[in-house]
Amino acid sequence: MINVILTVLAPLIGGVVYGIERVVKARMQKRVGPPLLQPFYDFFKLMDKRPIMIHSLHALMGIMYFIAEWFALAVLLLGNDLLIAVFFHVIAVLALVIGASSVRSPYSVLGALRELMHMISYEPLMVLMVVALYLVVGSFDIRDVLNYEGYPILEIPLVFFAFLLTIPMMLQKSPFDVAEAHQEIIGGPEIEYSGPFYEALYTGKWIEYIYVFTFVFLFGGSHYWLGILLVVLAFLFINLLDNSSARLDFRTMVKFAWSVLIPMAALNVILLALWQ
Amino acid sequence: MGFFSKFRKKSPWILHYNTGGCNGCDIEILSALAPRYDIERFGMLNRGNPKQADILLVTGPVTKNCKDVLRRLYLEMAEPKVVVAMGACAHGGGIFRNFYHVENGVNNIIPVDVWIPGCAPRVEALIDGMVEAVEIWEKKSKEKEFLKDHENVIKTLGVEDDG
Amino acid sequence: MGALVTLNIVLPWIAALIIYLAKKDVVTNVLTFLMLPLLSIIAYLAYIQPHPVLIETPKWVDLLITVYDFGLLAYFFYQGIVRKNSLIAILASIQLIFLVIVLLMMNHSLTPNLYIDDVTLMFYLIVAIVGVPIAIFATKYMDYGEKGKHSFVAIVVWFLGVMNFAVSVNNIEWFFALFETTTLASYIMIGFRGDKEAVNNSNLALWMNQIGGIAILLALMVFIKINGVYHFTDLLKNPSLISMAALGFLSLSALVKGAQMPFHKWLLGAMVAPTPVSAILHSATMVKIAPYLILRISPIIKGTLLAKLLIITTGYVFVVAAVIALSQDNFKKILAYSTISLLGLMMLGAAVGTPVAVTASLVLIIFHAFAKGFLFVEAGVLEKVFHVKYINQMRRLIERAPLTLMFIFFGFLNMTFVPFGTFIGKWMMIEEVSNFLQHGSYILLIIYVGAGSAFLSILYMKVLGISVRKAHGIEKINFVKLPATFNFVSVWYYVWLLSMTIFIAPFIADFVVPIAASIAGQADIYATGLTLHMYDSTLYFWQILGALILIFLIHALPYFVKFKADVVHPYNCGEVFPRHMETWNFECIARYEGYFVAFSIALFIMVVVLGGGLL
Repeated sequence: MINVILTVLAPLIGGVVYGIERVVKARMQKRVGPPLLQPFYDFFKLMDKRPIMIHSLHALMGIMYFIAEWFALAVLLLGNDLLIAVFFHVIAVLALVIGASSVRSPYSVLGALRELMHMISYEPLMVLMVVALYLVVGSFDIRDVLNYEGYPILEIPLVFFAFLLTIPMMLQKSPFDVAEAHQEIIGGPEIEYSGPFYEALYTGKWIEYIYVFTFVFLFGGSHYWLGILLVVLAFLFINLLDNSSARLDFRTMVKFAWSVLIPMAALNVILLALWQ
Repeated sequence: MGFFSKFRKKSPWILHYNTGGCNGCDIEILSALAPRYDIERFGMLNRGNPKQADILLVTGPVTKNCKDVLRRLYLEMAEPKVVVAMGACAHGGGIFRNFYHVENGVNNIIPVDVWIPGCAPRVEALIDGMVEAVEIWEKKSKEKEFLKDHENVIKTLGVEDDG
Repeated sequence: MGALVTLNIVLPWIAALIIYLAKKDVVTNVLTFLMLPLLSIIAYLAYIQPHPVLIETPKWVDLLITVYDFGLLAYFFYQGIVRKNSLIAILASIQLIFLVIVLLMMNHSLTPNLYIDDVTLMFYLIVAIVGVPIAIFATKYMDYGEKGKHSFVAIVVWFLGVMNFAVSVNNIEWFFALFETTTLASYIMIGFRGDKEAVNNSNLALWMNQIGGIAILLALMVFIKINGVYHFTDLLKNPSLISMAALGFLSLSALVKGAQMPFHKWLLGAMVAPTPVSAILHSATMVKIAPYLILRISPIIKGTLLAKLLIITTGYVFVVAAVIALSQDNFKKILAYSTISLLGLMMLGAAVGTPVAVTASLVLIIFHAFAKGFLFVEAGVLEKVFHVKYINQMRRLIERAPLTLMFIFFGFLNMTFVPFGTFIGKWMMIEEVSNFLQHGSYILLIIYVGAGSAFLSILYMKVLGISVRKAHGIEKINFVKLPATFNFVSVWYYVWLLSMTIFIAPFIADFVVPIAASIAGQADIYATGLTLHMYDSTLYFWQILGALILIFLIHALPYFVKFKADVVHPYNCGEVFPRHMETWNFECIARYEGYFVAFSIALFIMVVVLGGGLL
């Protein structure tokens, strides 16, 4: 039941999470920060703008990104196979990348290409993480993971840590906000969207929060308090990292993912497989 | 004026553009973003992207090179939009007035709604100007706004499509 | 059954002969078009017959094939001398000597020489449904300023017959003859244009594939010497006794035919030929012999060191070919690299050898055949009608060639995205491998599959990104009128892919799983309605349909949706002068290509030496 609610209300909950994040970030910088519902004010404001676009395909892809993102979340929460949910996420990336590279703006195209670099950094790791969860639980089914008696986090801590460092890549947070890079390429893929069309992307990002933190929650197994604790800690850690680090080059990101994170997760999986 | 218009004032996003000033005003803008003044508590964000911005904050006397850029940035913004001219240069050229390379202020290029005086204006003045800009912005409609000689401007500023 | 099989094999040969002799447009067009229903129906009739069956052949066929073998090798030798390529001549003479030795060693066997099982029948269907439309496509393609239309179409049709023959033989010596015949066909087709590059590349294809022939002959010698058998069915009778060295050689020939690195150059070279050649080589015939061969021996090599080394090698190729493809700028080359990559995955599945892995491999073979045939046909249309060969010429293709771009888009999506067959293959593979992670360590394989599919996805997105790039509105969509033949072939593939994807669950459960069952045993895959179940995991129909609708909207909707909103300039820092952004060429990867190939040579040697137990 709760998963249906979470799926249907994903944009709302994601918006609140984003609002909390902005407040938390401001407090970390000793600022007051915007109100908690600020993302929704932004949302309403954007609804009220005159719609302008580059061309229909571009605008349409923004909307498709939002729908695909939501659908990926639905597959994750309502389906029963985690692996499929990981691959569904790629459709959202497809829409985003096609949209972003369909305009002849250098920043947008650059952002799209960097988005691809993001994908090769986190995609294999997501697959590894799902496989690691499978090793622990013995099933790809999300319900089985949530009914697992043990503590997945204790069996695959390195995978969790690797995933924790992957979250900035997925949510476009410093030091891995390479594709978005507001000070450098001004939002990358999202630069050309405006008004109601930008809304789709803006809200799609909120849904991505739910999508990512659901995976974090799974590391708690059937101990929901642990899952919630992990989500909160991960959230705080990500924001701390975001506030305290500078952006890295995309090469560094890919190298880091491939030479540190993936071997780390693989090592954990191998050890666990041998242990069993 | 629909349902959504009530929430406008809660999230003005700013596009800041320096048209060749001395950067004094820009330092003030940066300090407005910093913890001491923190304009994000009003929901203001410096987006750096005309497509998603509501308030165009211009500093500097508008050099000849910047003229077309300024116009195009203005045209790329979606209505309702407000232009704020900040600092003495933006008002009439300031100490650069009547130099061979300046256009003597923002008003000669695009319509300005709010003027923030000072060289450089204090942050308090900036925030005050912003509040005023938001008030004007609240009353504006979504209708398309035109520049003087709009069609010609569009033609000169347009980018040719590749064949 | 015997009659149907004979028809299936002989019909294309006869048709090819008639086309070659008649040299008339009407004959060529009508005959190639007739092949489609004829071969499809015959293949279907054969499919519904009880199988597997062994078919006796008269003695004179055996003799004929032996004579043919010598003739073929003599022809290769002759070509080596004519073309002044000593490598070809030497390899041909080595094969001649080995063939004599094999024939002297060969004792009489009572096992029939033709073996028709599910895999064979599946290949018949693929050849009929995927292969023949390419011949139809070629009849129109060759009208665009190419010489020798009729002989070309004749070779293409003949090739289909050769492929049908190759997948039905049981005798490995016959298989060698047909393996070399496919080599011959590709040699002729790659060199068809007759210019310098074509000749060079056809030489390359010839000598590389001859190495595969030598490997088969070596395998034959070892089989006969140690086990005294030379039929596929005899090999399967007592798998534990079969010599590993011979299987190693057979795998080697599969790797060569499947254009796995370092022998990938010949398949890349094939792109100088007219595009239908690439289409036919990549989709239904030729390279598919490689996974076919591994599938044949997969019950024997399952779980051995050879299988593990094959997994490592092919998995490595799967990833590295996808990586290298990123740095290419020729459209056909990109397609070729992605074929090499996916062939690696198919062979990997066959080498793993468990029921689910074999199913995955078969699913990949089928869907890859359709998608690649489709993509190469579209590449041919792009080349001839729109004069586009390189991806940087693909800009604004959405306006210039909307339909073709839509088809290419769909083909690309088919290669890697949810819910298409290729994705299902990868999904099955990962789930299956996770299964045995609990027993051993196949972690490398998971990283291979995860990384390879990510690389392939970004490759396709990169190419698609260029072809939709546009500064202003997409209004002037120019629906160029294409020849009816091109449209027919495109729509044929499109409809097949679309319908197979919608009904993918019953298709896999009722068609592919029984085929896999005949090789490796029943896989735990079944369908309820249109929902696919595998072990505990479920791919619901609403997921398939949802993904399909999303994908469909993404690739087809841009032509129909017109938002009523004002159009502005793209952001360019406000500057008036235009700025262009091309796409990354991934030069950093091209720099390491040498290392990648060197490493693949090392893996290759490991397969033969360690896997074959030669050490």
